[in-house]
Amino acid sequence: MLLYILKRVLSAISVVIVTLVASFALFFLAPTDPAGVICGPRCTPDRVADIENSLGLNKPALEQIGSYMKGIVVGREYSAGGTVQHCDAPCLGYSYTLGQPVTKLLAQALPVTISIVIGGAVVYLIVGVLAGTIAAQVRGSSLDKAVVGTTLFVQSIPYFVFALIVALYATFLPETRYTPFLENPLTWASGLLAAWLCIGVTNAAAYTRYSRASMIETLGQDYIRTATSKGISRRRVVYRHGLRAGLTPVVTIFGIDLAFQLTGAIFTESIFGLPGLGQLTLRAFGQYDLPVLLGGVLVGSVVLVLMNLVVDIAYTILDPRVRLG
Amino acid sequence: MEPLIEEAELARTGAPTDAMAAPTGGQNTKVNTRRKSPTQIALARLRKDKVAVVCGSIFLFFVLVAIFAPLLAKLEGQDTTTLHQDLIDQYGFPTIGPTSEHWFGVEPRLGRDLFARFVYGARPSFIVAGSVTVITTIIGVCFGLIAGFIGGWLDRVISWVIDFVLSLPYLLFAIAVPAVLLSFFVGTAEDAAAQDVSTARFYALIIVLSFFGWASLARLIRGEVLSLREREFVAAAKVLGVPTHKILFKELLPNLVAPIVISVSLALPTYIVTEAGLTYLGVGLTEPTPSWGLTIANAQTFYRADPLYLWIPVAAITIVVLSLSLLGDSIRDAFDPRTRR
Repeated sequence: MLLYILKRVLSAISVVIVTLVASFALFFLAPTDPAGVICGPRCTPDRVADIENSLGLNKPALEQIGSYMKGIVVGREYSAGGTVQHCDAPCLGYSYTLGQPVTKLLAQALPVTISIVIGGAVVYLIVGVLAGTIAAQVRGSSLDKAVVGTTLFVQSIPYFVFALIVALYATFLPETRYTPFLENPLTWASGLLAAWLCIGVTNAAAYTRYSRASMIETLGQDYIRTATSKGISRRRVVYRHGLRAGLTPVVTIFGIDLAFQLTGAIFTESIFGLPGLGQLTLRAFGQYDLPVLLGGVLVGSVVLVLMNLVVDIAYTILDPRVRLG
Repeated sequence: MEPLIEEAELARTGAPTDAMAAPTGGQNTKVNTRRKSPTQIALARLRKDKVAVVCGSIFLFFVLVAIFAPLLAKLEGQDTTTLHQDLIDQYGFPTIGPTSEHWFGVEPRLGRDLFARFVYGARPSFIVAGSVTVITTIIGVCFGLIAGFIGGWLDRVISWVIDFVLSLPYLLFAIAVPAVLLSFFVGTAEDAAAQDVSTARFYALIIVLSFFGWASLARLIRGEVLSLREREFVAAAKVLGVPTHKILFKELLPNLVAPIVISVSLALPTYIVTEAGLTYLGVGLTEPTPSWGLTIANAQTFYRADPLYLWIPVAAITIVVLSLSLLGDSIRDAFDPRTRR
């Protein structure tokens, strides 16, 4: 068990390190003139030289990666426009177009993305699991067929089209705006409601199908028959005895899904104009802000790898049937 | 395990009793299975599936529209780039709706013909999605076959790469990498011509989507091959001295038709959506290439004044993806051995 966890952690670390080195190489060592790109159009040669110097682009490749990694651990200095900017400990570079450390930009963007994804997850988990469980109980009936047909239809609609139509036409929903949760929880919730509903409705379809399939399997088990024959009410059998076992695979899928949504809420953020991680990356793309792009990609990768790790380990602990190979 | 009373009841009424097969709905119509290969059986099943036939026809219609785009535009007598400023009022809104000259009307502001842009706009979606699907399928199948069959350190390396690719946030990369690739293709992007940028974006999109697309299929194929390679016919081929590449492509590959076909049919709509979505975000294709994603992005600000401008590409992409996904589901039902009985 311990050995398995150790192996899993090591492989996760290897993925993160390779991502870091490969992305850095792609962004800064490729023959792409990063200094010129970072500096933008109408840039004086002096300023290009300044950036090149402060980023260490004229140094050998290994040293560059080394100082970038060192920046992540202990922080580093950047000179921007004559003044020296200090970039604190987990330093992921300095955005020259915004004049701020990348870490700070990411720290501002992440809460927005997390708010969107968590709220959406609450909606689709409740709707999906309920609909799936109900459909599983009346399996084969016309209600079941209607539910399955609807999920199939909803899943096939392109997400960005759906979100765009909601954003444009669902004007009865409160206006979308991000307010930090601690500032005012009520405006936080109402400002994100439209985004939550979009994520919720589209993802609920998949969760309906997962939980339906899983509940059908669970309700066919012997112990459910035993419980029913003991005279326990149907509702109690389904929601107490069945749901507990039936939800294990759903929770696993949820863990991985959540990680992907954290890194892929780009459409939601862009359509509703919410300043999250995706929006930040998108803006960085428009301005060729390479440090921000690199930072966004790295944070996204770490989030994804960590979530996968947590799900894997949690699953082996929760479900003794999983054999460790 | 003895079937439950409920199960028996379901079996009697002909409803599917397999939990995973059931979600996709469609009853498997009985087809004549004698003297037919599995693929032929699946195709026969598909032909009897009404949903599959309707969806296939709709998809075919849009493919034909894309192929004959120049002809259709000529039939209308318009092209994608001419600016009809005479049809635009001083506020930038078109003065005409759909007419016999402009079948879908003209764009606000620039006054380009919308029908021509619509038929040409179908092309990049299909070309990008088609080529990415082909590339990822070839790479995925080859890597999956090699990793599963040869095993050893090669398997470990390929498996690690698969895990690696699958654990990258691909949407973030899809935004970040074209920025870098662009400077490979056309130098610093500020001084590049619009057409060059558009072409470079087109290839960047295909490269990025291909890079992230092959891994899941490779993993699937590897798993299948791991169980297939223990079968007698593979052992027999090995004993007979059949070279490895022949075992891979002549013995194993025909047994993998079902998962490959299913994966292709599910990948195609996904890539169409991804292309349109990334283009909508401004990361995919750019002007002057006509593309549905681009039209949607341009049209969203005019959704009140000129709803047709927005709704034509929105409806088109939804219909294409919807029919392709439903077709994919039917194909999975037809090919999946678990639903075969």
